[in-house]
Amino acid sequence: MLFSKRPRTDEFEAAAMPHMNDIYRTASRLLGQGTGADDVVQDVYLQAWKSFDRFEPGTNCRAWLFKILFHSLNHYRRKWLNIRMVRESEELLELAPAAEPSLPEHITDEEMIAALAEVPQDFRAVVLLIDVEEFSYKDAAGILNVPIGTVMSRLSRGRKVLREKLAGVAASYGIGGPCQEGKSA
Amino acid sequence: MNRIEFGQGGCETTRKYLDSYISNELLVETNHEILRHVESCSACAAELETRTRLRARLKSAVNGQNVPPELQVRIREQIRRSESGWAGFAWLHAGWPRWAGAMAAAVVVLGFGLWVTLPGERMPALTDRPAQNAYIQRISTSLAAVLKVGLGDHIHCSIFRKYPKNPPAPEKMESDLGPAYKGLLPVVRAAVPDDYQVVMAHQCSYLGRKFIHLTFEKDGRLLSLVMARKQAGESLEGLAPSVASDGIPIYQSAAGRYRVAGFEAGNFFAYVVSDLKDRSNLQIAAHVAPTVRQFLMNAPV
Repeated sequence: MLFSKRPRTDEFEAAAMPHMNDIYRTASRLLGQGTGADDVVQDVYLQAWKSFDRFEPGTNCRAWLFKILFHSLNHYRRKWLNIRMVRESEELLELAPAAEPSLPEHITDEEMIAALAEVPQDFRAVVLLIDVEEFSYKDAAGILNVPIGTVMSRLSRGRKVLREKLAGVAASYGIGGPCQEGKSA
Repeated sequence: MNRIEFGQGGCETTRKYLDSYISNELLVETNHEILRHVESCSACAAELETRTRLRARLKSAVNGQNVPPELQVRIREQIRRSESGWAGFAWLHAGWPRWAGAMAAAVVVLGFGLWVTLPGERMPALTDRPAQNAYIQRISTSLAAVLKVGLGDHIHCSIFRKYPKNPPAPEKMESDLGPAYKGLLPVVRAAVPDDYQVVMAHQCSYLGRKFIHLTFEKDGRLLSLVMARKQAGESLEGLAPSVASDGIPIYQSAAGRYRVAGFEAGNFFAYVVSDLKDRSNLQIAAHVAPTVRQFLMNAPV
């Protein structure tokens, strides 16, 4: 029934538009600001609008939009950034710091964003979905189309790498080095 | 959700499941195990505090960024444009011969392909002033000339030039409005619904005309109150009023996705411009008209 349904603009706007900030932030943090996040977000909303008749009212519109976002991000990277999609291997776990470094007391937003940008992309995506967007492991797994166990391991590694990068900031302030207490001159 | 039995080596088990604890992904019983351990272990308590703080700081840093308003406008426009294209095929609902439907379907598919392939009509770049003017002219063709005045400044100033990410302090807005018009701020603020935040208030100019301009924002939607002195021969009276508020006729028209409601206030025109629905835009115009008119009637010549 190709023409049996009229588009539900008001319904779509009410359900989807309130999530645009979340979609935009995630796209920006995964692509880098000013590198196509606008195009990807626009693509997400047009894709969502075109398939809105398949969206079931009452289900999780936000998770549905994020699923479209990650599909669009992969498409965008392949098309424009000529990036070969290399899945961060499980061995990266070994690269993550074994010790738990200290966190600087005062971190600026810019420092946090810069540190996040250095977290490998697969890990960063999970950290953003769970820690910033507060999706459950199950929803994040559905959005990324990976098992829950993968979400858990990527989250753990992502948080560790982020912390390590921030510890670098702390070290530059002279915080978190070897304990000097009790040493005499 | 996982239930974990904590035995000896509680620190190791706690650290292992701390991430899931922070994400609230453990069973209540396991949460209790972790809490019990943390209460008696200062090292794990410190680790929990650090991880929780990291999560909170990350969330706050990332959430400091919002979608640019011009992108929202662009997306809404594209959706509405595609909707009006769709509505053109409504006649197909009503039992046309099958071949006609098939033919139309082919046209739709072809048109859709072109729509996907060709670059859509985009908002001009922020730096492309001539393209901006052409855009404003194009979308306001259906509007009476006297209403175009308000729409043009709204799009030029609020949409293209953008309002500041962080609204200036009230003192700065008062200063930007100047001594003659700073009193407008509380007057308009009181008349516009509380959930609209004032994000900009200043004097500006567009196409050689000066404006007093206040911009409000709610959920990414912008609403402007734009005021300009009348020029010789200009009047709204030739138009059909949409409503009257305290005896003030208000004239509203649509241009694309925008609604422009204008009224006269002594030597001034005042316009309420937004991408709200007809009724909402008109209601706000009706609310602000009496007090704004009174203020402008007393404005210095």
